[in-house]
Amino acid sequence: MNTLIAILGLLSALLFFYLLRFKASSKQTNRSNRPKWSKYIPYKDEERGSQSDDADFPDK
Amino acid sequence: MSRHQALDTFGRSGNPIIRSSAFQDKATSGDRMSLEGAVNKTGILLFLTVLSASLSWNFQGPLMSLLSSVGIFVGVISAIATFGFYFFFIGWIVNPRPHLAPKTGPIYAVGMGFMIGMISQQAEAMFPGIVIQAVSLTFFVAASLLLAYKTGIIKPTQNFVLMIFAATLGIFLTYLSSFIFSLFTGSSFSIFTDTGWMGIGISLFVVAIAALNLVLDFDIIEQADEQGAPKYMEWFGAMALMATLIWLYIEILRLLMKLRSR
Repeated sequence: MNTLIAILGLLSALLFFYLLRFKASSKQTNRSNRPKWSKYIPYKDEERGSQSDDADFPDK
Repeated sequence: MSRHQALDTFGRSGNPIIRSSAFQDKATSGDRMSLEGAVNKTGILLFLTVLSASLSWNFQGPLMSLLSSVGIFVGVISAIATFGFYFFFIGWIVNPRPHLAPKTGPIYAVGMGFMIGMISQQAEAMFPGIVIQAVSLTFFVAASLLLAYKTGIIKPTQNFVLMIFAATLGIFLTYLSSFIFSLFTGSSFSIFTDTGWMGIGISLFVVAIAALNLVLDFDIIEQADEQGAPKYMEWFGAMALMATLIWLYIEILRLLMKLRSR
């Protein structure tokens, strides 16, 4: 019985790592009511930090 | 001409070619996260967890107990530093810092591995074969939910996130209260140890919430990839996924122990 469960677990693990590589269907991604994670996880701000959108002219 | 003189003379440029972010986006396009990268990082973290778990499983003794305690403590600190710490009515006590994930992710995985090894070894001694059942069930649940997410059967919305977030926070506060209670009385809340239908029902509820947290992790990874998030978000996504998988495994193990001790 435990061998069968172990095989099921191994197959599930393989399926999990296989599916994780694919993009979600458009039914999932093209929705207006998706949560906006960038609002909670500040990766945009961290990266751009204090940089401005203006060209950087070095002082002479 | 200095930067400030130039800005005074020409004003702020709206030309996307002159804007520095346009250059930056081009220069760093190879440093964007990908789903493939997130999967690889999840694999690395899982490997580290299994490695440290097998160490604490196989080598018992005072040195390993000390190493495990330090590992768990450092793991928890790493998780708080990366994911932040939120409290009802107060807000973020520690802000999330996803850019730390490449360093804290492996530390977290190793630390939690020590804890899992210890718990699993004790559970296996009491109920032989229970660990393989819990591991298999964890991956079965994770794969099923991933399939449901990818195909669009489960669609996380803002309300869904709030509901899961509130339930998760409630569970952790109950665990924390139980832990503090046990420091003074020597025993935790009976609802966690109860093997009756009430205890099993609560365990089932916690397993369901832990499993639904996986859906949020999938959505974080998917959205970060769509938006071209920085490379370190691969580690952040992988760490979030590992944290939920570890929690789910522990809750499934606890549920199986309750069922087997009836």
